[in-house]
Amino acid sequence: MSGKIKITIIEPSEIVTTGLKRLIEQNGSFNVAKTFSTLQEYGGTPNGSPDIIIINPTIVGDSGYSDPRSLLQANDNTAIMAINYGPYDEDAFRSYDGYISIFNTREQIEKRLSAALKNSSEKETYDDSNELSVREREILTAVAKGKTNKEIADEFNISIHTVISHRKNISHKLGINSIAGLTIYAVMNKLLDVEDF
Amino acid sequence: MTTNRTIFTAKTKMAEIITDYSLLTIIDRLNIKLGFGDASIDEICRRHNLSTDLFLMICRVYAIDGFAPDISNLTNGDIPKLIGYLQRTHKYWIESFFPNLHINIHTMLESCDEKSAKILNKFYDDYDDEIQKHLDYEENTVFPYIISLGEGKKDVSNKFCIKDFEENHSNIEEKLHDLKNIVIKYLPENASQQSRINVLNEIFKIENDLNKHSVIENKILIPLVSKYE
Repeated sequence: MSGKIKITIIEPSEIVTTGLKRLIEQNGSFNVAKTFSTLQEYGGTPNGSPDIIIINPTIVGDSGYSDPRSLLQANDNTAIMAINYGPYDEDAFRSYDGYISIFNTREQIEKRLSAALKNSSEKETYDDSNELSVREREILTAVAKGKTNKEIADEFNISIHTVISHRKNISHKLGINSIAGLTIYAVMNKLLDVEDF
Repeated sequence: MTTNRTIFTAKTKMAEIITDYSLLTIIDRLNIKLGFGDASIDEICRRHNLSTDLFLMICRVYAIDGFAPDISNLTNGDIPKLIGYLQRTHKYWIESFFPNLHINIHTMLESCDEKSAKILNKFYDDYDDEIQKHLDYEENTVFPYIISLGEGKKDVSNKFCIKDFEENHSNIEEKLHDLKNIVIKYLPENASQQSRINVLNEIFKIENDLNKHSVIENKILIPLVSKYE
């Protein structure tokens, strides 16, 4: 049994827990080793961490913690996934390594489990302050001027991958994704003059 | 954590579903007139020569977030009704909703500094063009293709197929999302509060409408048409 990926489910609904366990275990490489209906029951992971913890996000929400990892006292290499009951978009699950929607098919669930495992092993740490760093402001200005990722990478002597990661962080902090929207932000905050474009 | 879900079936009285006000819009777009007394959904649909399955499906998309439509009971006879519904939605957006939003944005920007006003006006004008282009494409290319397909006149020389539409289905929601955050977070405080709130209310409304509209196009229209291509 040791080769299997160990999964823990923390979910108050027995229907959901049982259904999820059954769907997941149809793939022989996963093993839902433990299920808990409350946080009290779970209590922590003293004897060996699971590879994945799947938790109902309201449990995390009600606990007052915003970060499921510190709530669950989970190891850094344990992937933490949410169960998405409804219309919530991906942003609601940013602090998780992935999520499973109750509308997912068995195949989709398998894919998401594997993706979450991968995510937790190559974690990108999100900077959760909302202030843009000096570098982010410089990059934002360049984006607003219409420069491509390649041009920005050359200008600042960084890799394209780093540019993309900065842009992701900028969009996340500002809540603005389109270049046109970023330009407005840049002008309103005097990073750029209207005459510049 | 679930929203207040409206449960309805073919036997539910039509009047009862109007407790969810977004369904009022649907009834109108399907050309169903108010004043249905105690008639059931089934009866009203039959009177309007509309399939009850299609009607319930559209209502559920609006009433239940994350609803996954199952089109196996729909037939090609439902396609013209569905197209009619989508066309009336577009007409409402183009003739009423977006011009109105434009006026509200204009009013909001009157109290802003000149630079912010100039750049936001340009942003909105570009967005308006984008919406218009997107809807024109659906009206002039996609819908005529689907209608001719329904009439059994598949034009072999026409290389277009519904999959192209799926690929071309650009995301017109992103900029709206940006505009919303700009108005909430970054527009200077001196912009009039009331006009800002008016703009935000409109954006929330259209965001939901656009979102449901793309569910109807992607999860009902496209799979249904692919069945008959």
